[in-house]
Amino acid sequence: MVYTARKIGAKNSLDYKVYIEKDGKPVSAFHDIPLYADKANQIFNMVVEIPRWTNAKLEITEEQTLNPIIQDTKKGKLRFVRNCFPHHGYIHNYGAFPQTWEDPNSIHPETKAAGDNDPLDVLEIGETIGYTGQVKQVKVLGVMALLDEGETDWKVIAIDINDPLAPKLNDIEDVETYFPGLLRATNEWFRIYKIPDGKPENQFAFSGEAKNKKYALDVIRECYEAWENLIQGKATDSKKIDLTNTTLAETPSYNPNAAVAVPAADNEPDAPIDKSIDKWFFISGSA
Amino acid sequence: MLKVSKGICTPLSRLLLMRTHVRSRSYGTVIQGSKYTPEYTQYLTLSNGEVGSYFHDIPYELDFNSRTVNMVVEIPRWSNGKFEISRNKEFNPITQDVKNGKVRFVNNIFPFHGYITNYGAIPQTWEDPTVESREEGLKGLKGDNDPLDCCEIGSKVLAMGDIKKVKVLGSLALIDEDELDWKIIVIDLEDPMCDKVNSIHDVEEHFPGLLEATRKWFRDYKIPTGKSANKFAFGGNFKDAEETMSIIKGCHSSWKKLFEQQYGNHISLPAIKRAGSGVIHKSSVVEDGKLPSEVAKWYYV
Repeated sequence: MVYTARKIGAKNSLDYKVYIEKDGKPVSAFHDIPLYADKANQIFNMVVEIPRWTNAKLEITEEQTLNPIIQDTKKGKLRFVRNCFPHHGYIHNYGAFPQTWEDPNSIHPETKAAGDNDPLDVLEIGETIGYTGQVKQVKVLGVMALLDEGETDWKVIAIDINDPLAPKLNDIEDVETYFPGLLRATNEWFRIYKIPDGKPENQFAFSGEAKNKKYALDVIRECYEAWENLIQGKATDSKKIDLTNTTLAETPSYNPNAAVAVPAADNEPDAPIDKSIDKWFFISGSA
Repeated sequence: MLKVSKGICTPLSRLLLMRTHVRSRSYGTVIQGSKYTPEYTQYLTLSNGEVGSYFHDIPYELDFNSRTVNMVVEIPRWSNGKFEISRNKEFNPITQDVKNGKVRFVNNIFPFHGYITNYGAIPQTWEDPTVESREEGLKGLKGDNDPLDCCEIGSKVLAMGDIKKVKVLGSLALIDEDELDWKIIVIDLEDPMCDKVNSIHDVEEHFPGLLEATRKWFRDYKIPTGKSANKFAFGGNFKDAEETMSIIKGCHSSWKKLFEQQYGNHISLPAIKRAGSGVIHKSSVVEDGKLPSEVAKWYYV
């Protein structure tokens, strides 16, 4: 199975959309890509939304058919995350697990907060920079429970199975051994990243501690089950998530011809990013 | 009452300084070869179109009242290509450093990405490699044979070859493989924060953590290539702006001596050809080379 990205419109513009194609045909980034790439060996598919060291807040859109990746907007303007010193943009390849959903109707017994109504987020820590719309196979190492503006927003920590260090990383404590300081930096990054926009510091459940692989696998399974309910039309969501898919014949929203409406790729060059995005914000007492 | 205080840049004086600077010169560049290859060469051109030297033909314009000086940008913040004013090539163009036949990129030292400030040099200065320092704290150290390096901390990512008027804030005495290699901390005069920072103390106040990060960065940046940590003179403490002004002035005096032939035939002294003979180079438009994928790697030291 070969996944590719179909780019439409100029990057860093409101027109930009990235669809994921399977064997050249657009599929839903949210629903059609199997979560498990190799279930027996616990290898998962991950959709890369934001490459490391970049700022554009790109994400799988819930509202549009086949859920292309688009840039989030705020008050009609493209959203970029601010650089909080000493970090530059995102510090991991950031993305999501397909076929998962953080159910807003369910309060997690340990974080005591409801899900954020999005697919489960993944932080891929390998040495290669990914690209928007890439489907990577990853190994799961742990999970952190961010409480972003009061909602549970799990961040699963994973590594590309093709990374040279992947064979050595098997659980969360190996991350600290081979990437010393990365978990602390991750914690700091998510706590402070909205401060330059005038928002308060985020909190983490479990005093900021990263949970181990077993815990992460449970979270993934719960989010997979929540998604299964969603795709069968058995869950309610306030966002009106588009459930159209081209591969799940047993679901009410199955439509094998949905890809026909997707425009062809164009070769629009990237639009320039506003210079103000280069600013570094120094937040006292954060480091 | 008009109060004049040293190192303070009022908006008016800033404007005047900039206008004089902008009005009096217009520089250009001529680029040959593909970026990220050993052939890449960026020459300075003067207003009459002839080729000049980034090292020798841009006036350093050190001003003790406003504590300003000129800077040539070599490496934009967050990038890795080790571009620098060539010591040996005629007219000292900006080229990428080559090591063992390969163009050089600095490694990313976690949590940093590439250089953490805009990095460059002060024209018409030279850290003399022929004389041992007699100064307390620097005894026995020789200069690194290059123009003075500077780190510009403003909010903009500057471009290679930019010529900026900057305010001097302090300095760090790096000892890089046994050579003295000052790092002058400066801020672009046009930066919105410029009026608020006049000293090393102000940098710590308005850019908390940046000085410590700078020290850590220079200490560790060669470790991934198998070298040991760099050291600093003066216990790694930053010199204040006033002392730094004298350091720059001293390096300007050293630079002058390059042209007075006091060095005889010392090997590997910088090329000293300057503008004046009307040499014209043509640009060749070539696509950038590919950045090697290793440049994305983060090193945990």
